[in-house]
Amino acid sequence: MIRDKTAIVGIGTTEYVRDIGRPELQTALEAIRAALDDAGLTANDVDAMFKIETPGEEPNSELEVARNLGVPNLRAWGGAGYGGGAACAPVVHAAMTVATGMADVAVAFRSRNRGSGGRPWARTGARVPGIGAFEIPYGLVGPVQQLAIVARRYMHEYGATSEQFARVAVAQRACASKNPRAYFREAITVEDVISSRMIADPLHLLDCSLETDGACAVIVTSAERARDLKQPPAYIMGASQGMGPRHYMMNGLIYKEDPFDFPTIYAARDVYAMAEIGPKDVDVALFYDVFSAMVLWQLEAFGFCEPGEAGAFVEEGRIDWPDGDLPVNTHGGSLSEAYVHGFNHILEAVRQIRGTADCQVQDASVALVAAAAVVPSSALVLRK
Amino acid sequence: MAEQTEMTPQRPLPEITPLTEPFWTAAQSKKLVVQLCAKCDKYQFPPELACTHCGSPDIAWQEVSGRATLYSWTVAHPPMLPYFQERSPWPVVAVELEEGPRMIAGIVDTPVDEYVFGMSLVAAFEKISEDVTLVMFRKDA
Repeated sequence: MIRDKTAIVGIGTTEYVRDIGRPELQTALEAIRAALDDAGLTANDVDAMFKIETPGEEPNSELEVARNLGVPNLRAWGGAGYGGGAACAPVVHAAMTVATGMADVAVAFRSRNRGSGGRPWARTGARVPGIGAFEIPYGLVGPVQQLAIVARRYMHEYGATSEQFARVAVAQRACASKNPRAYFREAITVEDVISSRMIADPLHLLDCSLETDGACAVIVTSAERARDLKQPPAYIMGASQGMGPRHYMMNGLIYKEDPFDFPTIYAARDVYAMAEIGPKDVDVALFYDVFSAMVLWQLEAFGFCEPGEAGAFVEEGRIDWPDGDLPVNTHGGSLSEAYVHGFNHILEAVRQIRGTADCQVQDASVALVAAAAVVPSSALVLRK
Repeated sequence: MAEQTEMTPQRPLPEITPLTEPFWTAAQSKKLVVQLCAKCDKYQFPPELACTHCGSPDIAWQEVSGRATLYSWTVAHPPMLPYFQERSPWPVVAVELEEGPRMIAGIVDTPVDEYVFGMSLVAAFEKISEDVTLVMFRKDA
């Protein structure tokens, strides 16, 4: 097992803006250099590299990144699918690689120009290949519509409300207001969310994530080496991926016998098992939040409440910082800080463990990070 | 006028492949077919190369009743693909076939404010182009 054998020792980002004006390769290099500086390491130390992959769009090959950093040799590399579900996966792979001795210092990163680069589904052609052939001609085109159908069914089965979804966006914006990196910092109310324009009923504009440009990176090395570096280590207690049966991307939840049998349920089970902890041990959670409703599903999947109870959990203020018993997305998340496929959530978990977060959870010693609940997923548990 | 025709966005249509051709061909003759596994006797949709329940490659297309219930829906607003945006807000539904599988579709005869979870539906067929007839649903009287 790889529990506690590795640590995140460096974090780095670019700014998060709508149009960064530089290619993704450039911002990837900037974030990685910043993370190496933060760790007190250089490109000469790097010998492994992992990144998030999204079907159909693959910028930033390890080849280009390593060459432009001046890395002398990579002994392990690879991309992990799928999009937001892979948010934690490059770190999972980095930890595996370092713990097994395949490499000493691994870079994990995500770089995206999603703000200026447009949405992938806008490039849909006259004839739709694959599973989309059974969806896009009917008008089910992008993630927001795909998730809206599932969110409505969830509301029907469990009595969740639009106000409860909105409560997630409100709590996260309150945190973002204290975060100088956050794209949106102006406080909002439940009423603001509910009255923002409808995007895909029942999801409103403010239930949806930002679209931003930017990059972030982390550096993973052995626990032993971590102790001699600049920053307090964030030890990787648990790392997992999970897909579950008969899965597609988020379009395909309705094809499953139980559409709420989310991949994140499988990642949750395994990350807790490796870390040898349960929900009661978690001080702060960073949940993938491309849409507000998804945070509710992760609260349930990770056992903070029973299925169907997350709406009430959120409504009671339990995810709020600083007073909730489980502060969630203390950086503002994808709804308010930036959309970097959830990779920015890992950096926030590291800040919480170091004690340097803008919305610091007092005495935070265990941080949970989860990738997108609804696509092949991944998770991490970090500790002091 | 010719210019306006060129500007009119086309509805995206399915690419018809060897795997999916039986579905679209059946739809042209107003039949709804899905795959049935000979080993575990489960139906599946969308089509695959093998049964996603048990992994058996022994699957075949089977005509089903066309009866379904409304499982869920959304109403899409901009930003959307141009064809749908011009006609927005655009409802999209998920239906559950009597035989088990669910599919994405549209409802032809009922306004969205009359949608009810579990309402009875029956397959309808809407010819869109020479080679594409979309499987839609209408309220089962």
